[in-house]
Amino acid sequence: MTNRSVQLQLGLGACIASLFLIFVAIPGWVASPTNVRNIILSPLFWPYVLAGLTGLTGLGLLAVGWFTEEDDVPLNDAADKPHTAWLRLFGLAAIMVVTMLLLPRIGMVWTSMLAFVATAFTVRTRHPIAAVICAIVIPLVLYAFFAHVAGVAIPQGHFVRLP
Amino acid sequence: MSFIDSLLAGLALVGNIEAFLALGAGVAIGVIGGAIPGMSATMAVALTLPFTFAMQPITGILLLLGVYKGGIFGGSIPAILIKTPGTPASSATILDGYPMAERGEAGRALGMALWASCTADLISNLALIVFAGWLASFALNFGPPEFFTLILFSLTIIAGVSGDSLLRGALSAVLGLLLATIGLDLVYGTNRFTFGSPDMMGGLNFIAVLIGLFAIPEILAMAWNPTAHLGKTRSLGNKWVTFADYRRCFRSIVRGSMIGVFLGSIPGIGAAPSAFLSYSEARRKSKNKANFGKGEVEGVAASEAGNNGVAGATLIPLLALGVPGDVITAIIIGAFMVHGLQPGPMMFVLNVDIIYGLFIGLIVSSIFLFFIGTAAIRGFKYVADIPKRLLIPSVLVLCIYGVFAVNNNIFDVGVMFAMGWVGYFMMRYHIPAAPFLIAFILGPLLEDNFRQSMLMSGNDWMVLFRGPITWFFWTVTIITVVAIIRAGYRAARNIGANRLKG
Repeated sequence: MTNRSVQLQLGLGACIASLFLIFVAIPGWVASPTNVRNIILSPLFWPYVLAGLTGLTGLGLLAVGWFTEEDDVPLNDAADKPHTAWLRLFGLAAIMVVTMLLLPRIGMVWTSMLAFVATAFTVRTRHPIAAVICAIVIPLVLYAFFAHVAGVAIPQGHFVRLP
Repeated sequence: MSFIDSLLAGLALVGNIEAFLALGAGVAIGVIGGAIPGMSATMAVALTLPFTFAMQPITGILLLLGVYKGGIFGGSIPAILIKTPGTPASSATILDGYPMAERGEAGRALGMALWASCTADLISNLALIVFAGWLASFALNFGPPEFFTLILFSLTIIAGVSGDSLLRGALSAVLGLLLATIGLDLVYGTNRFTFGSPDMMGGLNFIAVLIGLFAIPEILAMAWNPTAHLGKTRSLGNKWVTFADYRRCFRSIVRGSMIGVFLGSIPGIGAAPSAFLSYSEARRKSKNKANFGKGEVEGVAASEAGNNGVAGATLIPLLALGVPGDVITAIIIGAFMVHGLQPGPMMFVLNVDIIYGLFIGLIVSSIFLFFIGTAAIRGFKYVADIPKRLLIPSVLVLCIYGVFAVNNNIFDVGVMFAMGWVGYFMMRYHIPAAPFLIAFILGPLLEDNFRQSMLMSGNDWMVLFRGPITWFFWTVTIITVVAIIRAGYRAARNIGANRLKG
C-alpha cells in the first residue's frame, strides 16, 4: 500500500461510514425524546455533527489522495510470506473468539493457559518448553494476585475450581 | 491552606514505605519496559494500570508515574545498543548514541543519557510544581464555554501533530469522539448505540479501550511478522561517562530541558519533537558541530534532556486543567478516574494533599531513576535476552486479567479484543492512535460543556465567544490549524520539488 492508496481508501471508507451513520445508524440506534424543542440539546445532535465531520474528513482525504502523485514506496514492511502472515492473523482472531467463548465455561485461568500456548505457537516461538512452563505459571501467578491480593472475583468456570 | 500546610499534608500522604516502594518498583518496571524493544513505555504504563486498582490512590498513581519516568529513560537503552528506540521519543538518541556504541563507547553514551535524563527530569518536575498550581488557580475562572474551547484546542493540536497527516489525525479524533457517544445520553438518559445491551449503557470501558488500542495491536503485529524485532545487542565497552563530559554538556542539557518543559506543557506535542528540537539546537550552538551524527556525547545529552524534560511538564495540563497532554498521561488520567479522582482545577482545592504528595513523589522519582537506571544499564543484556515470542503471549494474558479486573466483566475483555483490531487497522493505515484515545476521554467533557453552554445561554452561540479566554482558545485553535496545513503543504511541495530534481 502506498501513501496515495491509503489516503484514497481511508477517504472512501470515511465517506461511506458517514453516510451509514447519517442514514442508518443514528436514526436506528440513537433514541431521542419526542418533546425536545431545540435540536442542539437533542441526543441526536452530537452524533450527527460527528457523522458530518467524518464525511468532511473523508472528502478531505479523498481530495488530498487524488492530488498526491503516485509513488512506489510501500508504507508498511512486507511480511516474509504474506499467506502465512494472514493465516497467523486469522489464528489470533480465532484465539480471541475461542477465549471469549471459554472464559465463562472453563474459567479465566485455564482459558489463559490455552490462549498463552496457542499464541506462543502462532508467533512461532523458538522456546516451546519455556512457553508451556510460562503458560502454566503466569496465569496462576496472576490469579493469585488478582483473586487473593486485589480481591477480584476471577471467573472459575464449571469444571476445575482453584482455591 | 498555606504552601507549608499543603506540603506537610502531601508528605503525610507519601511519607510511608509503601509509597516509596511503589515509586521505586514503578521506575524499575518502566526502565525494563522501555528497554525491551517493541514493548514501549506506553504499553508498560497500560499493563501496570490494573495492578493499581487494589492500592491506595496515591500509591497507585505514584507507581504509574514511576513507570512513566522509567519508561522514557529506558527507551534510550535499546536506541543506543541496538539502534531500535524503545519509545518514539528516543529516536533522536540514535543519531549519536548508536555511532558511539559502534565505536565501543556504549557505556559512556548510556551514562550520559542517564545523567541528562535525571537532570531534565528534575527541571521538568520543578516546572510542574511552579506552574501547575498557578495554571489551576487561573482555570478556576473557567466555565463551560471556556472548557469547551480549551478541549477543542487540545483536540485540534493533538490531531494535528500526532501523526504525519492532519487529516488522518482528525479522522482518528472524530472516531474517538464517536466511540465516546456510546451509552446513555448525558442530559435525557436515552440510549445511544447501545443495541439494547445493558453492558453498553455506561459507555465502553476506558481501560478496555486503551489496552486494546495500545497492547493488542503489538500482539497482532508480532503475528504478522514474528521476526521483525530481532536485533544485535552491542557490548557496553570500557569507557564510561565522566563528570567533565557532564559539565561540557550541561548547557545543552539545561536548554533541552527547557525546550522539553515548554513543549511538554502544550497538550499533544509529546517528547519526540522536543528531543529533535533540543538536538538540533545543541548542534547549532555546539563547538563540536561537525561531530554531531557521528557519535557526539553532547548529541545524546541534548536529545535525552529534550525527551525527559517533557515528562513532568505533560502533567501540567493534566493536573491543572484535566486535559491529558499525551497517551501516557491519558492512561494516568484513567488511574485517577478509577480511584474516583477528577484531575483539574478543583483537585487543587479538594485534594491538595494528593497533589503535593505527587509533587514530592515526582522529585524523589528523579533520584530513584538515577540509581535504578545505573543498574539497568549494566543489566540490559538480560532484559534484551527475554524472548519476545514469550513476552507477547504473556502480554495477552496480562491484558485479559487486567481488563477483566476493572469491572469484573467478561464483556470488557471482548471490547479490548475488538479495540485491538481497530488499533491494528489504524497502525496499518498510519492513523495515529493518540488522538483517538484522547478524544475518547475528552469526548463526553466536550459534549457536556457544549450543551451546558447552550443551556446557560438559552441556545445563544455567542456564549462560546463570551470573554478573553474563549477568544484566546479560538485564536490559538485557528493558528494551529493554519500552521499545520501550511506545514503539510510545504512538506508536500518539497517532496514534489525533490522528485522533479531526481
